[in-house]
Amino acid sequence: MRAGLDPWPFVIASYALAIIATFALVWWSWRAMRRAEKRREEVRRK
Amino acid sequence: MTEGATSHPLKKAKHQRLALVVVAVVALVAAALIATWALRNQASFFYVPSEIVSDPPPAGQAVRLGGMVETGSLVTKPDGVTIDFVVGDGDARVPVEYKGIVPDLFQEGSGVVAEGRMLANGTFRADTLLAKHDENYIPRELQDMTAAQKQAAIEETTK
Amino acid sequence: MHGFANPKRFLTIARPLTPALLVLGSLLLFGSLAYGLFAAPAERLQGETVRILFVHVPAAWLGMAGWSVIAMASIAEIVWRHPLAAIAGRAAAVPGAMFTAICLATGSLWGRPAWGTWWEWDGRLTSMLVLLFLYFGYIALAGATAREGVSSRISAIFGIVGVINVPVIHYSVLWWYSIHQPPSLSMGKSAMAPEFLWPLLAATLGFSLIFSAVVLMRMRALLADAQAEARLRRKALDSDRRPTQGEW
Repeated sequence: MRAGLDPWPFVIASYALAIIATFALVWWSWRAMRRAEKRREEVRRK
Repeated sequence: MTEGATSHPLKKAKHQRLALVVVAVVALVAAALIATWALRNQASFFYVPSEIVSDPPPAGQAVRLGGMVETGSLVTKPDGVTIDFVVGDGDARVPVEYKGIVPDLFQEGSGVVAEGRMLANGTFRADTLLAKHDENYIPRELQDMTAAQKQAAIEETTK
Repeated sequence: MHGFANPKRFLTIARPLTPALLVLGSLLLFGSLAYGLFAAPAERLQGETVRILFVHVPAAWLGMAGWSVIAMASIAEIVWRHPLAAIAGRAAAVPGAMFTAICLATGSLWGRPAWGTWWEWDGRLTSMLVLLFLYFGYIALAGATAREGVSSRISAIFGIVGVINVPVIHYSVLWWYSIHQPPSLSMGKSAMAPEFLWPLLAATLGFSLIFSAVVLMRMRALLADAQAEARLRRKALDSDRRPTQGEW
């Protein structure tokens, strides 16, 4: 094989992107859910 | 009374937003149509070796040639940057010449997509080479191992 | 069927299911990605670049699965008037779009070292990009119809029409033979060595469980919002009816 592009930066960038995006999506959805359910309880209690 | 007065501008805003939505949908459909058109265009300039032999494009027309690099056909010219090889698809073979840097995955027995044009002498001159890999995923070591195991198995059975 | 339509019953199932899916999915994902990054063997031709497979393929699968969820929810909404269906369709759109974007980005990061190009107007790549734009359109449409109180049937119809693109993506590598390789996995056969196949399936399952958890969380958020809004509207109506405000 010819010595060409170093594959590791591409591999690490892919993993970092996928993991960070997945984590951000979970965190954001979790916070939105907690906020919405809390608001429902407040409205119910009033 | 007040209800009638407020609902009118509200309705208007609603219509405007719905019009926006319609515009968005139209833009989307247009994007999809452009994509399919670009794809058809692209597909019509894509040839496999048997097509290029049976129904060749006009000489000088920019086309793309896809196929397998034939094993044993790759020759590096004395200048070190020009290479000759043969692209085949099992039925036909097309000689290709290329000058420049080749991608990592470009090798004999592997897939390639070459962008360029046919010359009058039946050779394809490529301006760009893209390596195409196949659907097989085989670890490097296992490939050697199975060869060795085959060897061992053959010796075992012929003993 | 209509048993699940009851929001109360949905919540009794969704409440314990959400953390369970998150924990199980994270464990599977952590294991399979650690394997993919550190332990997977180099591939015969692609070398180390093959590791991108373990994030690219699950993302592609979830991008397509996300739209399939939207399409099924849209059918359930239009045919059976299932009250949770519109919520389910909307909840699947954002995660679906995000995984489609991850698929395109990691595919590009794979294409540069493996093929020699970041992007090609190949059938598979183009149809995946069209899927991303379909998601954007659906998200905008569903958001607008919900804000305006217009029937969500418009976005449901969009979801059903858009599903045509899913089989197009699947068959694109066969119809427009170009640079993307044909599928390695199909019913009952695999062109993949077990060292790649099993971790890939584990990563796909892990990502799918997290995707399901995200859909459940988004459904719960949308449901809670809808219930709070309904409550507030009812209260406003009640206080309007009571003529206790002095000036009368």
